[in-house]
Amino acid sequence: MSRTSSMTPPLTPVLLAGMAVRPLPLAPLQPILKGAMNAIANRHPDVFERLSCLDDPVFLIDPTDLPFMFLLTPDPLMPELKAVRGEEEEAINATATIRGPLLKLIELLEGETDGDALFFARDLVVEGDTEAVVALRNAVDGAEINVMEDVLSFLGPFARPAGGVAKSAISLMARAANDLEMLRAAAISPALRQSEIQAAKLKKLNEKVDGISRQSRRKRVREN
Amino acid sequence: MTNKLELVCPAGTPASLHAAVDAGADVVYLGFRDETNARNFPGLNFNRKELAEGLEYAHANDAEVYVAINTFPEAGNPEPWKKAVDDAAKIGVDAVILADIGLADYAAQTHPDLRRHLSVQASASNPEAIKFYREAFGVQRVVLPRVLTLPEISALNKEIDVETEVFVFGGLCVMAEGRCALSSYATGESPNMTGVCSPASHVRYEDEGDRMVSRLGDFTINAFAPDEKAGYPTLCKGRFVTEGRASYLFEEPTSLNAAAMLPELMEAGVTALKIEGRQRGRAYIAQVVSAFRKAVDAAAEGLPIPQLNLDSITEGQQKTSGAYEKTWR
Repeated sequence: MSRTSSMTPPLTPVLLAGMAVRPLPLAPLQPILKGAMNAIANRHPDVFERLSCLDDPVFLIDPTDLPFMFLLTPDPLMPELKAVRGEEEEAINATATIRGPLLKLIELLEGETDGDALFFARDLVVEGDTEAVVALRNAVDGAEINVMEDVLSFLGPFARPAGGVAKSAISLMARAANDLEMLRAAAISPALRQSEIQAAKLKKLNEKVDGISRQSRRKRVREN
Repeated sequence: MTNKLELVCPAGTPASLHAAVDAGADVVYLGFRDETNARNFPGLNFNRKELAEGLEYAHANDAEVYVAINTFPEAGNPEPWKKAVDDAAKIGVDAVILADIGLADYAAQTHPDLRRHLSVQASASNPEAIKFYREAFGVQRVVLPRVLTLPEISALNKEIDVETEVFVFGGLCVMAEGRCALSSYATGESPNMTGVCSPASHVRYEDEGDRMVSRLGDFTINAFAPDEKAGYPTLCKGRFVTEGRASYLFEEPTSLNAAAMLPELMEAGVTALKIEGRQRGRAYIAQVVSAFRKAVDAAAEGLPIPQLNLDSITEGQQKTSGAYEKTWR
């Protein structure tokens, strides 16, 4: 649900959940993000050391399947992460913007996937100061972050039961993702079949045109 | 034929070093966080403390660490490069990888017991050049430029008394390494002096709706359609319009993968295999090292090389056997 990018969000449970929570205010989310950011800052101070080559960067992280974005200010003394609406993007003077599906962004944060590979596959879009994006990617990749562990750590004694709930939610989401993929495949199957037929016809036509061009070239060579 | 090939793997952060060692690297190569190495990217590389800790981790797991100090010192300012050699020796690394002859001489004179390898950045590709580095600076291994065919590597190994290391996977420089000035031309910075080709500070990606445009300095490098796989914004892999047609004039966005050639590389007398990618994430390193560990072990046993399934993490999601075969000849 990117506001300015041409990136189309994938059909995922995140997209559906995002649609469901769209009317809700973002205010209740802010203290959770603040706590999560503090937890990550305490557990991974080396992230900020690796970003020290940058001059007060501000990153806009845009999960394309969510109806809001995250604004990250990695100040070593007062790091901040807050949720913002897409409509606010124009007013934000971000150093760089990183867009991609939420789960891919989390995989990237945890070092489970390679940022360059996501970029080559066009699953990730970056805009603005590329140096800042590269520095952030390297800093985060080097930190061995575990989102669930880090975020839960700030809940103190409630971390354990919250972890159980989170694991159940992830498992539920994985099943929902599979179901959605089946639905998506079923929905596009007739169009896909049609497209394959058209592609095969086009290929034959191209071959025919190539053959005619070749014959024509040979004929011209012989005539000369 | 040599014994088992040594697997030399990249690391840009301590986390990547752990990933490489855990995935079966024999050696991890890395650089300091400054312009003394050819992957001087923002937020990447090791400070001295991280190197010492990484070395301890590697040695505890039967792996070694080589430090690349493979850029050419700035005129009038050799101190950061000399300090890098001194610190690497003091920390006790297993080898340094050097390119500059002045620095190679400094290392040989000041730290005679420190093992010295010649970087690919030195571009030594003939027996005379390699013998010179051996005799003058006691170089014990040379990393061969990615311009030689398999028969050329085999012939070379018969004429020299130095170990050879070759690239088998990752980003592919199509120019004479250490001598390419394309990045300098476009940005004023290069891998040879500042340690970075096409520096990110000069790169811009612009989403133009129906295409994503990459720019380096004042140059448009490429424009990718929405369903097209992307590559790095380097001039040598740019798509340019000539005679009204856009095409890759030098090289397409593609990665080297010479896994299928491991038996031939063993036959050719190669000692070590290098994986490119210190700038890549630890997920890439874990995946590639683990795959090549299996491939090297299979080659040593005389077994067929298994399918590595690494296409999804390669540049442009395409692979090539590069100059090893030179099929275009």
